[in-house]
Amino acid sequence: MCNNIYKPELMEVTEIIDETVDTKTFRLKLKDEEVAKNFSFKAGQFGEYGVFGEGESTFCIASSPTRSDYIECSFKHVGKVTTALRRLSVGDTIGFRGPYGNYFPVEEMKGKNVLFIAGGIGLAPVRCVIWNTLDLRDQFKDITIVYGARSVQDLVYKRELEEWKSMKDIKTVVTVDPGGETPDWKDEIGFVPAIVEKISPKSENTVAIVCGPPIMIKFTIPVLLKLGFSEDNIITTLENRMKCGLGKCGRCNVGNVYVCKDGPVFTYTQLKELPQEY
Amino acid sequence: MNELREKARELLQSGTVKVIIGYAQGTTPLHTKPIIIRFAEDSDKLVMNKYCVNNLSVYLTRKEFKGNGTVGIVAKGCDVKSIVQLIQENQVNKDDLYIIGVNCNGAVSELGKEFSAETVATKCLHCMVRTPHLYHTLIGTQEELPKRADTNFEMLQKLEAMTPDEKWNFWEAEFEKCVKCYACRQACPLCYCERCIADKSVPRWIESSAHTRGNIAWNIIRAFHLSGRCIGCNECERACPAGIPLSLLNRKMGMTAKKEFDYVAGMGLDTPTLVGTFDVKDNEDFIK
Amino acid sequence: MEKIISYENLTKLVDGIIQSGHIAIGQDEKGINWKRLNDAKELKINYASVPSNLSYKEFLFTKTEPVFYFRNNKDNFNLIEPKPEINENSKIVFLGAKPCDSRSIEIMSKVFNWDYKDKFFNQRAVQSIVIGTACNYQDEFCFCTSVGLSPVSEKGSDIFLVPLDDKNFAVKIISEKGKEFIAPYLNLLADENISLDKIIVGIKAPEKKFDTAKVKEWVTNNFEHKIFDDAGATCLSCGQCAFACPVCHCFDIVDEECDYTCGRRMKNWDACQFGLFTLHGSGHNPRETHGKRYRQRVAHKFKYYHDKFDEILCTGCGRCSRGCPAGIDIACVVTNINTVANQA
Repeated sequence: MCNNIYKPELMEVTEIIDETVDTKTFRLKLKDEEVAKNFSFKAGQFGEYGVFGEGESTFCIASSPTRSDYIECSFKHVGKVTTALRRLSVGDTIGFRGPYGNYFPVEEMKGKNVLFIAGGIGLAPVRCVIWNTLDLRDQFKDITIVYGARSVQDLVYKRELEEWKSMKDIKTVVTVDPGGETPDWKDEIGFVPAIVEKISPKSENTVAIVCGPPIMIKFTIPVLLKLGFSEDNIITTLENRMKCGLGKCGRCNVGNVYVCKDGPVFTYTQLKELPQEY
Repeated sequence: MNELREKARELLQSGTVKVIIGYAQGTTPLHTKPIIIRFAEDSDKLVMNKYCVNNLSVYLTRKEFKGNGTVGIVAKGCDVKSIVQLIQENQVNKDDLYIIGVNCNGAVSELGKEFSAETVATKCLHCMVRTPHLYHTLIGTQEELPKRADTNFEMLQKLEAMTPDEKWNFWEAEFEKCVKCYACRQACPLCYCERCIADKSVPRWIESSAHTRGNIAWNIIRAFHLSGRCIGCNECERACPAGIPLSLLNRKMGMTAKKEFDYVAGMGLDTPTLVGTFDVKDNEDFIK
Repeated sequence: MEKIISYENLTKLVDGIIQSGHIAIGQDEKGINWKRLNDAKELKINYASVPSNLSYKEFLFTKTEPVFYFRNNKDNFNLIEPKPEINENSKIVFLGAKPCDSRSIEIMSKVFNWDYKDKFFNQRAVQSIVIGTACNYQDEFCFCTSVGLSPVSEKGSDIFLVPLDDKNFAVKIISEKGKEFIAPYLNLLADENISLDKIIVGIKAPEKKFDTAKVKEWVTNNFEHKIFDDAGATCLSCGQCAFACPVCHCFDIVDEECDYTCGRRMKNWDACQFGLFTLHGSGHNPRETHGKRYRQRVAHKFKYYHDKFDEILCTGCGRCSRGCPAGIDIACVVTNINTVANQA
């Protein structure tokens, strides 16, 4: 009974990457070595990142569990806490609670093709699984990545996009919305659902992981269904407002689930059962 | 009551109004509740009696009623005060309103209690607007209003006689009870801010925690925001589940506005608002 | 043969409780809220009057409490565990809980203990002793019988009082916890030859208004029904219903300053009827309208919580309806649903 579930662990910011004008990635290390030794997580889980005096904010862990001596998170500054996080520098301390929630079925995906579809900052949870699969490359069949953003400036993880594009054993397609391209843009132009339809990945023995803005998900799922993906093989994450991350505070409650405990990862089959309150 | 229903039916049928905000029978005959009707056939759901305590003008500032045609509203004189105040503050367009004014015979202080001389609401005791000062149609006839001692005023006098320390202790004990449900704000027709200062977090002006410190900040700031604006419908006090006597604060503020500036909120359509207007002749000797 | 206690001896019991350093919680003089009794004379067992505006939830799941303190120490932060306000050896004794109050601990325990355990709630729950009382009050807002309780339900009580007349109560010891607690005070009880069962049968119960199983089934299949929009149309989005409720348990987590050198993270009551409750950082709000929020309230109480924890998240006390400034009566809404379900 003595364990205080609301008390975070301390983490040090060891690296900061500016992804876009309003998005940053932090690399974080647990300060307590004992805690760090026992720390592990799975792809798709999230945490509560806190700035003391400002509060906590919820983001997925964007780095791969195969690289376990640190975690990374990416966030867009929109509110009180993210603005406070943005002001931090390398060496500063933040609070971390987690990992929380369920995870992508990486084990079950082994031996199958994987199709990653992401839009905007929705690449963060997908990136976690991408590196997870790439670090265990021989255990998966074809890997395809489709990533889109509103404009070239809005693309996150730019260096990694180049790295993935240069890898011979995976297929990477990057796109920007019409009008979001720069004069020297050589990749695709078009909305993510259209690009998915265009490259029409095979659905047989394939798991599709789809994360991004609700509107992108809404239009991508019908395309996948048309391509023959089964509803069980379409997997996404819900990003409801959360506070506790522990299935208590009630904020992320949608239908019978607490997104923070029963999610954030859901198959399309499960999603269809939920009321449209996400 | 038939007069009201007939009028409502006629207004909806003729298309004079798109919607009517009125009262319907509540859980018991000693309760009523607000109702929003859009069809003439629903007019029979409307009631008007001494248990119609809600100030329905709280709904007028809702987005759904703005720019969507004329809104009919059943209003007692005190409710018309807040409607006038809302018009004065440019929150409601006079031309989009159709006021079904009610000749008021008093309202009960607490729903569920039988109306009598003991239970008539405090605000009714000195009411100057039993016939509303603004309406498009007027219904009902006036009867004599039961009288009782104004215990609320007696309490106010008692408070005024206290030393600052005693006053502080009194209010500290009262505000300690606050649970920060914000029912006071939500029930108030004049608390219409799109984003209340209590909900602003960058920076956090008022602590959201319901401890005494946060509660005092909230209740005092709310009282200030309503001074010279509160029309005294006492809906905040009625809504408060913790039983905080908010009317004492608001009434005192109203009395100060009257004494210092000869201003009574919600009375004059064309009167400039008190806190929204600078006048070089304003009495400033209260600033020390 | 039954054990009975006189009002006078009950006052002595409260005296004993306070003297031994336990915390006695009873209703305040106006029947608005519950408070810590400083003197046994303040005791009121309101078995025959309307439930207080607010439940005693505040003493289990407090309206605001620090979950830890933090202090910035040059390069590091010290996180400091809050000291419990109530000595861990003291009992928190709830005096005169009606059946619609005494169930609250068991119901809330479910959400505070699935997987992660909330030590703040649990600590108080363990320390609590519920002295319940049969209820001799009912009005149009009461519906305990519709949610599986009754005015004579002993569920959740450690000791249960049955009022015999103005001055005497029969005492039933329900739990081990209760037995242990009452042991030092047995001299305050007397034996009397009465038939308690007969008295209990004589207590009138409110009529059953709806069938929760039926309501749950209907809500599952009629999520988009206009009944919710109609019910929520006049909702003012205040949190009265949730804050007065003995089992509503949603909360917020916010940071604030204690003083210039120290801060604290607070756990505060929150409510699903507030417009900002589910607002995303992006501006998207999954429950933007009053109707959707009211549906959440009904569905969480009568479906989601039951699906997940096998409990109806409601004790039928009627506080939310009695106190609703817009006169929205949850029992009416749910009874309506039941009627519609029957017609379907």
